[in-house]
Amino acid sequence: MTATTASANTPTTTGTTPAAGLEAPALRDALEQLARRHGIGQWDLGASCSTDTSVQVDRGEPKQMKGAQRSAVTVRVWNDAGLVGVTSTSDLSPAGLETALVGAHAASAFGNADDTPAFSPLSTAPLPELEQPLRPSRPILQLLDTLQDAERELLERHGAIGTVPYNGLAQRRSERLYLNSAGACRHQRLSTASLYLFARAEETGRKPRSAGAVRLAYGVDELDVAGCIAEAAERTISHLDYGPIDTGRYTCVFTPEAFLDLIGAFSSLFNARAVLDGVSLSGRNAIGQPLAVPFLSLHDNGLHPGNIGAPAFDGEGTPTHRLSLVEGGVLRHFLHSEATARAFGVEPTGHAGMGAKVSVSPEWFEVGPTPGSDGGQQGLDHRSPGQSDGAGLVVIDSLSALHAGVKASQGSFSLPFDGWLVRGGEARSIEAATVAGDIRQVLNAIIGFEGEAEITPDGLCPHVWVEELSITGDA
Amino acid sequence: MVVSAPPPRLLHLDGSLKPRLEALLAAGHAAGADLVEVFLERTDHIGVLAEQDGITSVSPAFGTGAGLRVFRGLRDGFVSTNDLSEAGLMAALEQALGMLGLELTATAASGFDGLPALRDHGSSKADWLEHCPELVEATGRLLEGTRRLEQLGRHLQVRRGSYARDWQEVLVAASDGTFARDVRLHQSLGLSVLAADGEHRSSIGRRYGSSGRPDQLRQWDVDASAREVCESAGTMLYADYVEAGQMPAVLANRFGGVIFHEACGHLLETTQLERGTTPFADKVGEPIAHPAVTAIDEGLSDGAFGSLSMDDEGMEPQRTVLIENGVLRRFLSDRAGELRTGHARTGSGRRQSHNFAAASRMRNTFIAAGPHSPEELIASVDKGLYCKSMGGGSVGPTGQFNFSVEEGYLIENGQLSKPVKGATLIGEAKEVMPRISMCANDLELAAGFCGSVSGSINVTVGQPHIKVDAITVGGR
Repeated sequence: MTATTASANTPTTTGTTPAAGLEAPALRDALEQLARRHGIGQWDLGASCSTDTSVQVDRGEPKQMKGAQRSAVTVRVWNDAGLVGVTSTSDLSPAGLETALVGAHAASAFGNADDTPAFSPLSTAPLPELEQPLRPSRPILQLLDTLQDAERELLERHGAIGTVPYNGLAQRRSERLYLNSAGACRHQRLSTASLYLFARAEETGRKPRSAGAVRLAYGVDELDVAGCIAEAAERTISHLDYGPIDTGRYTCVFTPEAFLDLIGAFSSLFNARAVLDGVSLSGRNAIGQPLAVPFLSLHDNGLHPGNIGAPAFDGEGTPTHRLSLVEGGVLRHFLHSEATARAFGVEPTGHAGMGAKVSVSPEWFEVGPTPGSDGGQQGLDHRSPGQSDGAGLVVIDSLSALHAGVKASQGSFSLPFDGWLVRGGEARSIEAATVAGDIRQVLNAIIGFEGEAEITPDGLCPHVWVEELSITGDA
Repeated sequence: MVVSAPPPRLLHLDGSLKPRLEALLAAGHAAGADLVEVFLERTDHIGVLAEQDGITSVSPAFGTGAGLRVFRGLRDGFVSTNDLSEAGLMAALEQALGMLGLELTATAASGFDGLPALRDHGSSKADWLEHCPELVEATGRLLEGTRRLEQLGRHLQVRRGSYARDWQEVLVAASDGTFARDVRLHQSLGLSVLAADGEHRSSIGRRYGSSGRPDQLRQWDVDASAREVCESAGTMLYADYVEAGQMPAVLANRFGGVIFHEACGHLLETTQLERGTTPFADKVGEPIAHPAVTAIDEGLSDGAFGSLSMDDEGMEPQRTVLIENGVLRRFLSDRAGELRTGHARTGSGRRQSHNFAAASRMRNTFIAAGPHSPEELIASVDKGLYCKSMGGGSVGPTGQFNFSVEEGYLIENGQLSKPVKGATLIGEAKEVMPRISMCANDLELAAGFCGSVSGSINVTVGQPHIKVDAITVGGR
């Protein structure tokens, strides 16, 4: 158990030292003294600090080795009129904290009277038990050796793989803290590690192709390096034999990563902040309305063991928990902060950031069939010759340019992708293409799911079949 | 009341730091480093958001930090920290040295000759921050903008105005004798709307940015901006989706320059050379684009969003001709790029903050004006797409680029016809650059943000109207 909650009974010290980590009692004491000095009665604070080391390599040579010590504090202050101001800083010294507190108080004069955040009613509720082992950091030269070996092994997998232009092995020790003047105290420590390998392959007279893989773990020693190499190699090699695709409408099979990327890009559908701001496709009365095919289930579950580095609490101290968003194709709940929950008359859901206007965001999705439903078409297998006759199936492996090609407030998307055209069970990489559509159309055109749900960095999802999507080829 | 509390003078980034920095650089040199570089910064930021007819967010932030980089041979180690105490900086140096297998030593002799007098680019900019608009004035201007949107627009469901002011003081010291200071002021402001009528929706935004112009918000033509946004939103509200396929395209000036930025500019950074991800690695002196294309990257244009007095490695920026009449002339290079690729530095070493090592990045990048009128370009197309306003874009590791079209029109028989939406342009740099066959005479620049290896930085893109003979348009 690495996340803690405590009462306000704290000793007095004069500050905290970023290099040594966050000292919750010291920060609380410092804030209380400063607040008294400046006549501030209500405040809260979110703080984080981390130490990171990372390496990148280039054809056997170290490319860049990096280390970082970071600290950050965001202070919110409620003024006598009940309006909120905020200030952020990387300076955790007493002088830095005081400047932040005074700055937040000054900014509160411009607080929004129509939408004022308050302390989360759940900021002192029990936190979930998370199995997040703290692993020791390894020397950076050990990281370098590991990555050099991984790169070499990946390059040896196929003669066409000439470089691994995007690669990195990183480890982090981090802490998060939430305090408020009503006595809430949340503290979480984490260690995480990540590995990514994106290879570039090129055959004579052919265009270069690229693909990769990512792995996350609580420590470097637990990273599935071999699996990452194998997946990066397999994906890259699978794109070497490519061809154009005719523009038209196809049944598409989204890989778990691709489907989760698409859902994530349109998460304003489930976001109460976006609903209240008028930029969501969902209206205030959308709860209980059909949104998707009647066998689709979608949850946000930051607590899933596959979510490496899951937060135990959000920016307002609300505990993270599993939330049903869509069940049986019907919209069940929105993601909430304290302020949006109050506006809807429900409890906060643990998805808030911290600010004068509090953002709301999803954590980790679970996609699959609704229990008790028929689950859509059964026995789907894009490798089966009988299921990819005619024009064939388009397997969408990874989507690109989501920041540019998604119009979340309109529902539309037009996105480049890497993938394969499968005909008669034979897959051939697609040279270059975009997929376009409307998210509501996608959610209502799901045919069914293929295979077991897979854990990815963004969530849990099986392959998802969607009919009649528009594909534009570069032919 | 000022925009925010003044930046705390916890650290004076000036010549008084010279002895401390010299000690740090000497220690690194004595340990065996070829070169040690220290980047110090102080920042002061304010962000303001107006929605409908109220201010919904005021977000001040300030900070300090350092980035230390150590080179030995072709290798380097980089450490960033918020701890600017002597002990904190020495610990960061020790960590960076350790990445290269070096250790701090008690040896006094370092071979480091000390720093010269400070080159202070910031001395004339000391009053920039206090000349920026106060918060009352800033919020007032934004609310003026959202009110004007309400007056000019139809079916507007959401009206937003935003303003960001980023003040940064930097000091760079390196054991090659670099010792320079600068003050930067970047401001950006914008208006955006979401229009909705039944099932029809359009979302349109415009953003404007400047560097070194404390008066930008006061000089902002609110009416013109609101009018442009509302007209575009109204036009696109009922637009049909574009039909997909290969077709000629005419791209408007200003932010249309994102095509060169994504399709080619990134591939002319030595960062890409080092990765082996540019198809132009051995093409200097050879044609890579249509002879109609001359492309330039510079950091000098007065007030432009990507302009600098010095880069983040202390070098003064240049005007770099990248492509001249279709022939590749130069790559953009930083310190590491010069070391590893042999391409001389161009004052293009840039980073978002002390948390990133500098890398070769674009500044103000544009295609030069040509001889044609915009109307001539459109008249030359029988059936194609006119891209009046662009969204964002990106380029991948194989050189394939993409960008979205925010406001588009069909071209039929040499004339603009109906508006279309949902278009994405995709292609590969090697293939599309030779297809830019006509450049108009109406070069204009536009501010933007570019995210890459050294973080998100302010840049300018630009071009005159250009014609691409054939490009893949993704749509429905």
